[in-house]
Amino acid sequence: MGADWFFLGFSLPAWITILTVTSIFVVMARSRIPAEVAFLGALTILLVTGVVSEEEGMAGFGSEPVVIHAAFFVIIAGLMQTGVLYWLTKHVLGDPKNYNNALLRLMVPTSILAALLNSVNVVALFIDAVKIWARKLNISPSKLLLPLSYAATLGGMCTLLGNSSNLVVAGLYLNKTGQSMHLFEPFIPGLILTVVGILLVMALQHYIPSRRTAEQSFETTSDYTVELLVPTDNPAVGETVEDAGLINVKGGSLVEIVRFDREIIMPVPKDEWVLGGDRLIYAGQINEILELKRTHGLAAADHHVWSINDIDTKRKMRTAYVDFGSSLIGRSMSECHFEQKNNVALVAVARQGYRVKGQPREIRLEAGDTLLLECPPKGDRLLEQETRHTVTFFDSHFVPQLGPKTVTSAIILILMFLISSMHVLPLMATTMLAAGMMMLFGCCRITGITRYIEWELLLILGATVVFSVAITKTGVADSIANEVLQLCGRNPYVVMAVMCLLASIVSEFVSDVGSSAVFFPIMYQQAEMLGCNPMPFVMSLMLSVTISFASPIGSNTHMLIYGPGSFKFTDFARLGIVMHIVLLTLTLVLVNIIYPLY
Amino acid sequence: MKTTFKEENNDFVMYFEGRLDTAAAPAVEKEMEPLNDCTGHDIILDCTQLEYISSSGLRIFLAILKNAKPKGSHVFIRGLNDDLRQVFAMTGFTNLFEFK
Repeated sequence: MGADWFFLGFSLPAWITILTVTSIFVVMARSRIPAEVAFLGALTILLVTGVVSEEEGMAGFGSEPVVIHAAFFVIIAGLMQTGVLYWLTKHVLGDPKNYNNALLRLMVPTSILAALLNSVNVVALFIDAVKIWARKLNISPSKLLLPLSYAATLGGMCTLLGNSSNLVVAGLYLNKTGQSMHLFEPFIPGLILTVVGILLVMALQHYIPSRRTAEQSFETTSDYTVELLVPTDNPAVGETVEDAGLINVKGGSLVEIVRFDREIIMPVPKDEWVLGGDRLIYAGQINEILELKRTHGLAAADHHVWSINDIDTKRKMRTAYVDFGSSLIGRSMSECHFEQKNNVALVAVARQGYRVKGQPREIRLEAGDTLLLECPPKGDRLLEQETRHTVTFFDSHFVPQLGPKTVTSAIILILMFLISSMHVLPLMATTMLAAGMMMLFGCCRITGITRYIEWELLLILGATVVFSVAITKTGVADSIANEVLQLCGRNPYVVMAVMCLLASIVSEFVSDVGSSAVFFPIMYQQAEMLGCNPMPFVMSLMLSVTISFASPIGSNTHMLIYGPGSFKFTDFARLGIVMHIVLLTLTLVLVNIIYPLY
Repeated sequence: MKTTFKEENNDFVMYFEGRLDTAAAPAVEKEMEPLNDCTGHDIILDCTQLEYISSSGLRIFLAILKNAKPKGSHVFIRGLNDDLRQVFAMTGFTNLFEFK
């Protein structure tokens, strides 16, 4: 289709590919559309316009990175349910004496675990344990969470399973050459980068910001905003706020009344009447103000309450933070159905540990905001599952039972690594075998196993493989490879450095997986044009897309710690930029020493 | 929004017509001043022609009630349509006023 039409050296299918891929990057960087939707939308465009055939379009979903990830999710579910991961968090960290000691005791084991269990899993696993450490050491959790994220991503560089982008690059390499990489292919450069990275974090520890803890802010801040509702049958109805004892209360004061018809009374005069359905907005100490529920019959509710007896008095307060990519971002609680759908009521919002002015339910939420929610007395785990990817609760209630199956699943994991590293079976077959064993030996429940699979990630991985096909097939890779060669000359080192720099910058703003899929065909093409061994190009790409530490978007592990650490978007930049430059330079040197160009 | 004040059978009766919203409330409050001096009279707020009442309107009704009570006067609401009755119920005003 349109193959005869050329503009600036590119055919129509090539332009469709370029515009589609570029627009995904823009959409992901600038909008709230979930990444998997953006990627699938782009795949649809490529299919509908005939740039890729149906067979090519669907091939990505059965590709090696997708299958390995799917199997790995099952393995992780098994390790989680049998308590292996729980045991690791309990016993790996130990008891640190001071901050320096804590950094070392945190970063070394987590980087090793990340190499084996994937960096994202390890960070998710250790967040709570690290926060307990922070409390013990009397430091802000952000001082430990950032090193945790670095250590996990660095450690993840050592194996193909460590970071998702490693598997994507390995999968694309397999497609291109028919040769599969082994599990520990990036081990030597990855290990050196990990050691240097850990030393860098320790040397530049003063670049790690100290942020207030999100949960503590609800307990200690004397200037907070809490929203409570006056039920219809409240005895204060018809009284003035002063007579009802609602204006100056223990721990705070009434700053605003929002009437049932959304009329706002602010400031609130002492002789203002109380009406049923009023929303009373208090500034002050949260715990004390929440006492008004008990003493004055007020309620935390998203809908009108006729009587305080309608509210289950056993409902409890829980804190959660807004996830990156959450559907709540950019919207206020009153605009969406989150509260009704999950039977929770928003009471207060914190941003980077401080009060956000205004009525909590009208605040436009941002990623990382901490929410104080009144939740049902039972069904914590169900609530956590239902709200997955929207909010994450701080006090997760998942505590597995340790037993014989803990040992079984640990053995399955160790066998998986042994079989894979000794090349007895290819990695894909090994992970599938391990996943099957986990189910066969009852380490994870077969019913509902799909719940543990991150379908969004699989969709993204499947789509990225197709982009790579489109970029190669339409000649985009060839043309860009040529252009870069003309600009940089035919020095392979310069070409490799420029391409890795570009790939790592794109990765900072989009995602490591997307960046690797786009840059792989171009760099592979360049290696062939220059008559070089493609391996150094492939390995340098694999490593350089994961060292994008300067923004939370580029790093999946940074996204996980963003909320719990109460970070600001720019907090990652100072240390991240230094790490990016140093590790990128080191990557290029190491890869070229280990893998000769000719 | 239109109000009409009448004295009927020794009761002060205020007739409301239209929408008593936030914008109309200040003028209505002024027009209801004759009800302040109600000693010896009961007050009837006739809402038969009232289409809508905002929270500001309810505050005016409540102010009339709070003024009349110490003087021994009763305040009755008359002719509420279903929508208004729901607003009165939700805000707890059903328990405060007497209805005719």
